[in-house]
Parts: sequence; structure tokens; C-alpha cells
Amino acid sequence: MKRIEVKLALTVVAPLLDVVKELADSLRSRPAGPSGLPDVDLDFSVEWSRELVEGQRAEIDALLGLFGEDFFKEGVVAFDDQNAELILRACAAIRLRLRETLLKPMGDEALETGDIDLGKLTLAVRRAFMCYLFLATLQELIIQHLDETILGG
Amino acid sequence: MVTKIAEDGRSRLLVPKLKPTNSQALPKEATHTELALEGRWRVVVVNDPVNLMSYVVLVFKKVLGFDETTARRKMLEVHELGRSMVWSGLREKAEAYAFTLQQWHLHAILEPDETH
Repeated sequence: MKRIEVKLALTVVAPLLDVVKELADSLRSRPAGPSGLPDVDLDFSVEWSRELVEGQRAEIDALLGLFGEDFFKEGVVAFDDQNAELILRACAAIRLRLRETLLKPMGDEALETGDIDLGKLTLAVRRAFMCYLFLATLQELIIQHLDETILGG
Repeated sequence: MVTKIAEDGRSRLLVPKLKPTNSQALPKEATHTELALEGRWRVVVVNDPVNLMSYVVLVFKKVLGFDETTARRKMLEVHELGRSMVWSGLREKAEAYAFTLQQWHLHAILEPDETH
């Protein structure tokens, strides 16, 4: 079983976890994205969303599970074949939710190009954007080191 | 229960149900539904400014079984053209792919494929 451990700077990451937790709660009740289904009946649409949300709950649990007691002692998080896929998806879901909530004032173009003057952001938006980048970094790490694990799973 | 794509690529648990469009003309409604279910549908992935290129490539390989080259080409279509059709075929399987792509948080939509 392939496993990677990453040492994170506690003082940098800990404040971002409040943002993660806040958005994680909203993902326990509503899908991260639009349904994209044309002309389906209400029951089907509701069931579609319910199953997406059920999946999101497992993803969020896996992501928050990284930041338990061990993390606050050592600053280390670990990815393996048990949690990599779920965490990858959780990061995507939270980044999408950040876009439509806390990062909405920045606009899509700035998010996509990364052309952002941090000094012009409010403290709350800057923290949300740092969280957005942090989650992308986790995704890159997983894709770089565990893509074969995910594709083979 | 929503249709899902299993690891073997086959769909599971499908209940495709189209919304009736004319509540007063039952025979016509039934015909519409039957045609819609039998027609071809496209799964289209729409660009978003959030998901990483490497992530989209991984999802295309994982969910749709694309090789690296195809996955990258389709990802670039999404990025540069704003959308890419990634699959077409019967509605039930199209729904299954759209659902699985949405589980990976890509913006996947279904469209009738009017080219057939």
C-alpha cells in the first residue's frame, strides 16, 4: 500500500481549517454543483441530489479526519489508498463552494488565472483564498503521488 | 435510486424518468417519453474556473476510461472552448456517466444528441 505523509505548518494551516469546517457543513446538505439534468421529474431529481450529498458526507468526513489530534501534535497528514480519492473529491467540493460564497467577490477570471493582489483583499477573503490554494495543493500532492492508486481502485 | 457506473463500467440501479410535458394528452406524452428514452444523449462537461487541469484529466481517465492523450485533449477542449462532449449514447447510461462525473464535482450536463 502506497502512503504519503506530509508535514504541514500548523500555524499556517490551523486557521484555514475553520473555513474548511464552515463550508463542509453546507456540503452535508446540498450538492456542490448544479444538477445539469433536463426535464426530469421531481422525485428523480431529489434522489439524484440525495445520493450526491451522501457521497459528499463521506468525502468531508475523510478530509476532516486528516486534521485530528495527531495533526495538532505533529502537523503531519497522511494519504493512502483508503482516503486519497475521498479527499481529492472533498477538496474539489469545498473549492467549488468557496467560489460561490466567500470568494464570489473575486470573480471567476481572477480565480482561474490566479492574477490576484492579496494586499487588496479583506482579511476574510484572503483567508478563504489561502484555503482555496491549500486545498489545491493537497489535490496536486495526491494526484502527483497516488494517481495510479486512484485509477486502479 | 440513481444509475451509477460500477468499476466494471456497467450501469447499476437505474430509474430514468422524464418529466411529462403535456399533462392533458396521455398518449402523446407516452410517445414523447418513449422517444426521449430511446434517443441518443450527450454527456457534456462544462468549464469551471475551480477544478485543476490535472484533476480533470484524472477524472476523465477514472470515470470514462480515457487514455492520457484523450483525457488531456478533452480537458483542453473544456478549458479552451468552455465545454466538451465526453460521451454519447442511450439516456440511462448517459445519466450514469453524468452522475459519476458530478460525484467528482465536475459540471456535467445531459443534452439530447440531435446529430443522430
